[in-house]
Amino acid sequence: MFANYLIGLREGLEAALVVGILVAYLVKSGRRDLLPWIWTGVVIAIAVSVGFGALLTYGPRDLSFEAQEILGGTLSILAVTFVTWMIFWMARTARSLKGELESRMAVAAEGGAAALVLIAVLAVGREGLETALFLWAAAQATGQTTEPLVGAILGLITATVLGVLIYRGAVRINMAKFFTYTGAILVVIAAGVLSYGVHDLQEGGVLPGLHNIAFDVSAQIPPSSWYGTVLKGTVNFNPVTTWLQLVVWTLYLVPVLYLFFRTVRKPTTSPVPRAAEAPEMASQPVGELR
Amino acid sequence: MTWRTLPFLAASVLLIPLAACTDKNEASGSGTGGGGIVKVTSTDDECLLSTDEVSRGTVVFEITNKGTKITELHFESEGGKTIVGEVENIGPGITRELTVQAAPGTFEVACKPGMIGDGNRVKFTVADS
Repeated sequence: MFANYLIGLREGLEAALVVGILVAYLVKSGRRDLLPWIWTGVVIAIAVSVGFGALLTYGPRDLSFEAQEILGGTLSILAVTFVTWMIFWMARTARSLKGELESRMAVAAEGGAAALVLIAVLAVGREGLETALFLWAAAQATGQTTEPLVGAILGLITATVLGVLIYRGAVRINMAKFFTYTGAILVVIAAGVLSYGVHDLQEGGVLPGLHNIAFDVSAQIPPSSWYGTVLKGTVNFNPVTTWLQLVVWTLYLVPVLYLFFRTVRKPTTSPVPRAAEAPEMASQPVGELR
Repeated sequence: MTWRTLPFLAASVLLIPLAACTDKNEASGSGTGGGGIVKVTSTDDECLLSTDEVSRGTVVFEITNKGTKITELHFESEGGKTIVGEVENIGPGITRELTVQAAPGTFEVACKPGMIGDGNRVKFTVADS
């Protein structure tokens, strides 16, 4: 039961973290009205994953291995793109903290409603199909034993609870810290997702170098241990990492983290669109923008 | 494109792979194709196959984890150079399927209890008939 619990936890953790941070961001910036878009994205991703998973499990057709890896890899890279966009959106928000915070954020969020749905879909849907296939397999086993299904569901529930706790903790800390911390955490998560996507594409034969291993610490950090699970579930740490993964991870993490901190810390050099800076926007009461 | 169309766009992105499906019924023996169903049992230290040879065609590996650790099934070229197919997240007590289009040749089936190392490997032949 514990092993299946860990699979559920691992598959659910990253989505719970990203959604938790996203929800905290909207609540913190006074945009609760946009929350339905997040839930829409989450529901779409779960529905499509569970439905598609059932189709593959009970239907006459199977997804080919290459297709599954290419799907996983592509969704990962798409997810990274959108999460990166969100990180800089949040960074700009953090920078304009002094002054007309809420109205500026409202302006930024208008353009982001659609992106919120997409981010939620990608955060949940990225690993959604694999999780659904695992759950259906566990459900099929209930004839002999219910342990796998119970374990898997408890794992997913734990991941969700952790997401809620992250949200609770995040909304409590002060604004400036909130954006800096959650933004930095998202950069690290996104770097891991990118590395994961690269590995999927390597396994699918799209990218080379599957056997050029940079390091193998699977003896020290076994993937089946609880800490291996948490590392994999949060920052996508792979105990056996290829050189290509390591290089891509570094090439993403270092510049993005640098640009992120520069954006957060320098209030003057502003890449914010002019519209958001316009004084009439800034002086509008928050209520009217909702 | 408005934001109203985006949820549908997002949903369709997730449905694209439907086009990339393979028919697992071909493996059940009906029809002209070869292939077949191979039952695999993965324990904590063994990888047991119902057969280690099939003819070319659609092969469905049905792997059951009878061990205590999470296991994976890899279907690889001889020596493990390339992965032909792989299924992960096979928790204890769970049965999952891997469908591959097998070309003639010599392959290796690897069960990886604990998701670690090269796993327990069994030679597997796909005959040209």
